[in-house]
Amino acid sequence: MKASYKWLKEFTDFLLSPKELAHALTMAGFEVEGMEDIEGDTLLDINVTPNRPDCLCIKGIAREISAILEVPFKAITIDVRKQEGRGPEIEIKDSPLCKRYASRTISGVKPAPSPAWLIKRLESHGFRASYNIVDVTNYVLLEMGQPLHAFDLDKLAGQKIVVKTAGSEKTFRTLDDEDRKLGKDMLLIWDAKKPVALAGVMGGQNTEVSLSTVNVLIESAYFHPASIRRTSKTLNITSESSYRFERGVDIDNVAKALDRAAQMIAEIAGGRVSNLTDIYPEPYELKKIIVRTEKINSLLGIEIKESSIQKILNSLGFETKREGEGFIVTPPSFRPDIQRDMDIIEELARLYGYDKIPATLPCIKVQPAPVNKRQDLIRTTKNAMIRSGFSEVINYSFFKPDTLDKLNLPPDDKRRNLVFIKNPLRKEESAMRTSLIPALLNNVSLNLNHGEKDISFFEVSRVFLPSDLKLPDEIIQMAAISNNNKSAMLWESKHDGFYDLKGALENLFRDLKIKQYYLIQDTSSIEPYLHPGKSCSIIVNGEKIGSLGTIHPHVSESFDIKGSITILEIYDLEKLLEHVSSGTTFVSLPKFPYVERDVAIIVSNEVLVEQVNREILSVDSDLIEAVTLFDIYTGKPIPQDKKSLAFSIRYRAADRTLTDAEVDSLHSNIVERLKNTLNAELRG
Amino acid sequence: MLNDIQTIKNLAGEEIEKADSLKSIQELKIKYLGKKGILTGKLKSLGSTPQEDRREYGRILNEAKICIEDLLSKHEAAFKTLELNKTLQTQRIDVTVPGYFIPAGHLHPTTQVLDEIISIFTSLGFNVEEGPEVELDFYNFEALNMPKDHPARDMQDTFYITEDIVLRTHTSSVQVRIMEKNAPPLRVIAPGKVYRCDADVTHIPMFHQLEGFMVDRDIKMSDLKGVLEVFIHTVFGPDTKLRFRPSFFPFTEPSAEIDISCVICKGAGCNVCKNTGWLEILGAGMINPRIFEMAGYDPDQYTGFAFGMGIERVTMLKYGIDDIRLFYENDIRFLGQF
Ligand SMILES: [Zn+2]
Repeated sequence: MKASYKWLKEFTDFLLSPKELAHALTMAGFEVEGMEDIEGDTLLDINVTPNRPDCLCIKGIAREISAILEVPFKAITIDVRKQEGRGPEIEIKDSPLCKRYASRTISGVKPAPSPAWLIKRLESHGFRASYNIVDVTNYVLLEMGQPLHAFDLDKLAGQKIVVKTAGSEKTFRTLDDEDRKLGKDMLLIWDAKKPVALAGVMGGQNTEVSLSTVNVLIESAYFHPASIRRTSKTLNITSESSYRFERGVDIDNVAKALDRAAQMIAEIAGGRVSNLTDIYPEPYELKKIIVRTEKINSLLGIEIKESSIQKILNSLGFETKREGEGFIVTPPSFRPDIQRDMDIIEELARLYGYDKIPATLPCIKVQPAPVNKRQDLIRTTKNAMIRSGFSEVINYSFFKPDTLDKLNLPPDDKRRNLVFIKNPLRKEESAMRTSLIPALLNNVSLNLNHGEKDISFFEVSRVFLPSDLKLPDEIIQMAAISNNNKSAMLWESKHDGFYDLKGALENLFRDLKIKQYYLIQDTSSIEPYLHPGKSCSIIVNGEKIGSLGTIHPHVSESFDIKGSITILEIYDLEKLLEHVSSGTTFVSLPKFPYVERDVAIIVSNEVLVEQVNREILSVDSDLIEAVTLFDIYTGKPIPQDKKSLAFSIRYRAADRTLTDAEVDSLHSNIVERLKNTLNAELRG
Repeated sequence: MLNDIQTIKNLAGEEIEKADSLKSIQELKIKYLGKKGILTGKLKSLGSTPQEDRREYGRILNEAKICIEDLLSKHEAAFKTLELNKTLQTQRIDVTVPGYFIPAGHLHPTTQVLDEIISIFTSLGFNVEEGPEVELDFYNFEALNMPKDHPARDMQDTFYITEDIVLRTHTSSVQVRIMEKNAPPLRVIAPGKVYRCDADVTHIPMFHQLEGFMVDRDIKMSDLKGVLEVFIHTVFGPDTKLRFRPSFFPFTEPSAEIDISCVICKGAGCNVCKNTGWLEILGAGMINPRIFEMAGYDPDQYTGFAFGMGIERVTMLKYGIDDIRLFYENDIRFLGQF
């Protein structure tokens, strides 16, 4: 709401400069968001909160200033002289939607441009000047907060005004030349035959005031706020009128504003004013609210005297009567937002000054804080990933549905069941995401384009899957991505990036205390966006909880990424909580030394390291303490379809020092076993 | 005889003091204590000494031996240290070669600031709770005293899934969910993502908020001031000033907007604070009794306060970030700075 400093001064005597006034208003809840100097005046741009429609006008703000600064408020005198005749009959058919409707006619007006001072005021407050008659209605709206509408009286059929909903009427042309599609519950103003205005929102073209207008009817009414808001939202029209009606105008001000307008029109455009027609079947009843002094003080944490309470409330136009240990307070009709004692306490705090409320700390009983396992899980996960060299990214929760095609997901994949946004910002980003992978691929692509070389990201965020319940399932996923280029360790640059991600997974599971898990290379369950040879499913307690692998080259290509990309994905982080091993148990330290022997074998490429481990351990699981892979070699002189694996085996007995003879015999048993079961050759 | 030993002792002492290398010390050791050494010779001749002198003579001889041994080993150790130091000097490495490490990743700045804020409030006894991001209109609006057709809904641009389901526009939606399931006293913070249908230079459609609330008998507005003062002073330093301004939120009453003295210009006026010296950072207030009624609490028995803040805003002020759009572009040149 824009308000002229000079105009405000017409209503109240204050000595503050515009800047001081802006500060005083801001500190009383009317934030001044901007100031603009215009020819000897200053315009204040005041943010009026939705609960204070009474301050959407100069008079209302001036009234507030007089309360804040404790200076008198000067009311303007309204005096409609020479009233003659009567305007059309008014009938309110839908009375819950229109609680008051008043009108006067002015006959013999001369439409013309308004005087310069009026045009200047309107324009500086953001209104476009029109004919004098319309300008006056806007002026009164600005000054007194009551929206008015001027009809060309001679275009109203049958000398009648009817207030009723649209019913079966389908369209209506508003004065901006638009044909509006009507809803049957929209409130309209009718004459004897046709609709003539969208009540409280916009007038109709058919009865618009023009240069040839001679007689006008001025409408001043109180329409039901929610009804006006629905019409305005449905038709997507926000007017100065609808903005005020939907917040609630002062019902007792309806006739006063009409009088003010009639008087001004007669003065500026000439003409004779009719008597008042005012349909107001149920006059507004003022509320009486009891507020206790003790409650005021205990809620705010202050000690305010009863005399100060009374003074503040009276300055706001509230009537007060002492009653018991408090007051009966009667707020004025322009403050329908005041409904209960808390509303009054807020007004007191506001004018008492928030800065005078002390800062204290609450007296509270100590309560044990429950462990938030979910938060702990997320924090542990993030820390483990950071430690493995991955940086956290956060992406938007919505995505383009067609990215799922880029991931090669089959039509029946459950991630294709999407939760759609009705009004997305960009049409493409219309669904809540069901996978974290597309955004991570985009992140890699963007950073590669910037010339970055090492990219290792992870994200812990929710995905959204439709469910049988009202709200979708929100599942916390973790996904990590890397372009397998650790330039900080150039000498390691030849290894496959798969193992970086696998290392990160091992780190993560160690921190989460998940001890038993398997990686299974089962082609039938592998994600369609992964390389079939370089990927696997992560199995914990027989359940597939995630995937690990290199992105399929087609998929990387569709995200404009060159080179190999590896990902790790945990589908439901919270599910891991079910698989956490119970606490650590201490094992006594060994009393006898170990003996270590190495074995290097040549096996077929298909043989897995895990298989060799198992075979070695099967020879004597009591005496073999550990088997560690320390070299994998392919190339000359090893045949093409074979590889060399070297293991270090650690032997130890719990109750004695092993003799060389014992170890030799065990070790040769192992070699024999590997030869027999895996067709291994000993490498010389 | 006794004089003889004294002379040997003195002579050995002199010679050891004069020795200038480990080698000469080793030679002296042989000269005096070796198999054919001077002192060894004297010890061997002990048998031929008269019976009555033997005991006394032996004692003195042994004393001299220990004395010379001590002196020798002391000098030997000194020469060894000297020689070791010489060798170590030749083993100099280039300390300017880069160190070896696996570079750790970076936590997103939003997470870092959120974690800091959460730890401040948990230290004050608040529990962390969460709620759904796709939320019923009821919890996001209606239960917070914003019925349909209420103009206060204009304060937020909402993404709709259906007529009754929205992307939550604030973490305040967690309030009534928690109150429905728990009896007071309550001390809760609810961090999380929120969504607004808005994107320009200063707005992004998804950001993070943290909602906090406390409900008990006898919670005062002054307590709200005290708790927020502790919070602001911890995050922005104890010299930061706070300013409480009346405002309006449908779910609090009285409502306040909280400004802090500009962390950039310290109140003198700059671009960031639009020359006001103040920065808006929090919305807060006493919980509206209507919310208690919605949740089934007796508003005559319980009072409480609630506050909410945008995490990106706090993060921007804390690190001097000037463009909110950088947050979720996930450019490593941005992320790597935190
Ligand atoms: Zn500043």
